[in-house]
Amino acid sequence: MSERARRVVEVPATIESIDVVQAEFDAWWSALDEAKIETRFALEIAVVEIAANIVEHTHRAEGQAGRRYQLELSADDDVLTAVFTDNGMPADIDLSTVTMADVDDESGRGLALAIAALDSLDYRRANGRNVWTLVCRR
Amino acid sequence: MTSIDVREADGGVVLAPSGRLTVVTAPTLRATVAERIAAGDRLIIVDLSVTEFVDSSGLGALVSCLKSARQSGGDLRLVAPTEQVAMVLRMTNLDRILQPRPSVDDALRG
Repeated sequence: MSERARRVVEVPATIESIDVVQAEFDAWWSALDEAKIETRFALEIAVVEIAANIVEHTHRAEGQAGRRYQLELSADDDVLTAVFTDNGMPADIDLSTVTMADVDDESGRGLALAIAALDSLDYRRANGRNVWTLVCRR
Repeated sequence: MTSIDVREADGGVVLAPSGRLTVVTAPTLRATVAERIAAGDRLIIVDLSVTEFVDSSGLGALVSCLKSARQSGGDLRLVAPTEQVAMVLRMTNLDRILQPRPSVDDALRG
């Protein structure tokens, strides 16, 4: 794995952080030798949805400023991986129960989109942190 | 950063959000559509040909704006989504209720 294929960013858990995350994703992607635009679309929508979920969860559960989260993007010959880590409250989520919202609903599509776009999405609690692992095959 | 270009058309108003339509920028689209409906516009056309990326919040805003337009006796129509936007509309089945038109002229015709 080349060093250029790994990128780490840490940002405050604010709505505006999504723009930073996407800019970092764009820079990371530009350095990859990956031709399939569909793969980019799939991983990017999942990254944005999980980042937004972390921000929303942080505000709903804690309602305080100062929380941060980290995103690590990496690639090898077979898979692209994005790992989010934050030290917020445990996320009360069962990914096996997530379904796509009805077309009339104004919310409730984020996690379903991420799951549909990825080859795997995993959430676990480890060492007092929330860890989200997003994987797309190349 | 997203900006929304607003232009009058014969029979409607055309809003073109450039860049990313996400949780960061979706409130701007909602506010712009609400202003246009309050100002009397009934046919809202969202030109997605300059929208590079949409997320679930952007989609939620489009659904909300569609409802607002219809509640005021009008309609909201999408035009020419880029590849990423078309993919996300398909994945969420929203292409069924927000079936994109190829051009603004097509959207104005119905």
